[in-house]
Amino acid sequence: MASRYGPLPLNESLRDITTDIARVPLQMPARVPWLIALILSLSLLALFLGSITYLFARGVGIWGLNIPVNWAFAIHLYVWWLGLGHAGTLISAMLLLMGQDWRNSLNRFAEAMTVCAVICAGMEPIIHLGRPWFLYWMFPYPATMAVWPQFRSPLEWDVWAVMTYLIVSILFWYIGLVPDLATVRDRARKRGWQVFFGIFALGWRGSARHWAVWNKTYRTIAAIAVPLVVSVHSEVSLLFAAGQIPGWHSTIFPPYFVLGAAYSGFAMVAMIAIVMRHTFQLKQIVTERHLDVLAKVTLAMGLMTAYGYVFEIFDGFYSGDAHEIATIHDRFFGIYAWSFWGAVIFNFVPIQGLWFDRVRRSPVLLFLISTSVVVGMWLERYMILVTSLYKDFLPSSFGHYTPSFWDWSTYIGMLGLFMTPFLLFVRFLPSISIFEDKEVLAREKEEAAHA
Amino acid sequence: MPEPILGLLAEFGNEEALLEATKRARGEGFRNIDAFSPFPVEGMSEVLTLKRDHRVGWVTLAGGAFGFLGMLAVQLFVNWDYPIEVGNRPLFAWPAFFVVDFELMILCAVLFAVVGMFWMIGLPKLYHPLFSAPRFGLASEDRFFLYIEARDPKFDHEKTRTFLGSLGALTIEAVRP
Repeated sequence: MASRYGPLPLNESLRDITTDIARVPLQMPARVPWLIALILSLSLLALFLGSITYLFARGVGIWGLNIPVNWAFAIHLYVWWLGLGHAGTLISAMLLLMGQDWRNSLNRFAEAMTVCAVICAGMEPIIHLGRPWFLYWMFPYPATMAVWPQFRSPLEWDVWAVMTYLIVSILFWYIGLVPDLATVRDRARKRGWQVFFGIFALGWRGSARHWAVWNKTYRTIAAIAVPLVVSVHSEVSLLFAAGQIPGWHSTIFPPYFVLGAAYSGFAMVAMIAIVMRHTFQLKQIVTERHLDVLAKVTLAMGLMTAYGYVFEIFDGFYSGDAHEIATIHDRFFGIYAWSFWGAVIFNFVPIQGLWFDRVRRSPVLLFLISTSVVVGMWLERYMILVTSLYKDFLPSSFGHYTPSFWDWSTYIGMLGLFMTPFLLFVRFLPSISIFEDKEVLAREKEEAAHA
Repeated sequence: MPEPILGLLAEFGNEEALLEATKRARGEGFRNIDAFSPFPVEGMSEVLTLKRDHRVGWVTLAGGAFGFLGMLAVQLFVNWDYPIEVGNRPLFAWPAFFVVDFELMILCAVLFAVVGMFWMIGLPKLYHPLFSAPRFGLASEDRFFLYIEARDPKFDHEKTRTFLGSLGALTIEAVRP
């Protein structure tokens, strides 16, 4: 039972928290389910590698891309993956600065999810390049050809935004992990584990001097990471604004993209939290109260995203521009109307259940609603791209897009690229923050003692 | 003559006891002291007077400035060195440049902050004599330790041990090199 002082149950002790979490990497309580998941994700990864091998051999023509729809799966999934990742940083950084204790049971695996999602996101524009082996042309190095990259191009913005986001996410995640690596190092009894955790804990001793500097650095990076998240997804929306296509120029785009990103990401975190607390019996650390708060945040983000939908449509009509209005009309009634209405239904109908306490605290219902959100946001990104691209200004250049087999195989395979590193993380590292939960528990106990 | 020791390590059961003990040790005049805990103890940096250290902020600011100005210089230079004129649009496209510039400002600020942090706390340092103290491993579980170094001018093995005992330490160990 959750205490009335905070998210963690008061009958836990500091030692319980350590054992509960450190036992996952050290003893692995769910060996068989983990192995099955790993085999599944490795087969998906193999599908991905096969797909991109064929892609590199034959070129992007194997996808359903054409002119006018020359951005499809690769770019829509780039936006989608990057969006999933954003919740990890927001949970970690923004909620840390706002002093939200409940984030401490979620931040570690949410950040790991961010890193995995950003790896997938970064992969998408690279495989879309056509000649990905010239990727290094994007960097300003003194080439013998005496040319430089074009920094006025949105493609350059992607490179630097994703690279920065990936490196900052990894560093933020790692420095938060160091004290816990030391904890697991001290608990490990086998030589191999001691060396493994010993090296990555870097000799952390938990000295007050360490903590003082660590605390300042962690909070400083958190304060920098929040505007970074906003800037990265705003950059993605500006990438659309740079294209001369109707439907991509509403001024709501940057906040609408960022909120939609956080929305899908929070839903993803809820899904992972539900699976993990069930598989590793961590119900006393990721409590119903955590699910409740996550559901509330998801609901709030969803309603703000819905506002984005309304405003985007309003903006199109308000512009008075015939092409803008035609694009909105196509979204409502065109041949891709299923993606618009699908996004509306998956995104905004099931989450209405989250107004009710009983739904928020039910892992099964919350999982189903979150899945619906992730699917809905997938459809939304598809809708924004394809419904704008397939009809531009001249009827002679209208065209259709249907994803090919290789579009789907690359996408489904990429789920393996997401899941494989995440499963390895869950297996080998403390996937919930040990020391931050102890901090919460110590504070709760103190408050309870003085109450 | 007994074998030299590096200091005395006293164990406490909770963070209030550690904070109180550290205060008393400071009050007693000990200066080369350190406290170890499984999580940051609120108020500890005031007791150890670590609060007025603003180096992290400055290092981060330096990183941010370096990234921002450096990347701006790169973008201006490449457009000057290899001008691509497209429909008479300006070569120095400030709004476009600031996208990449902002990202690099953040990247360098964070890189400086992380490297600076490890440099300030002297890590990585995989071995430390404290690790050979048998109970020290509990500092990452649920125990709180106060460490008084032997090089402190006020240190005297017997007297300091008695003093630590009077603070209510659960165990007191000598740390040897």
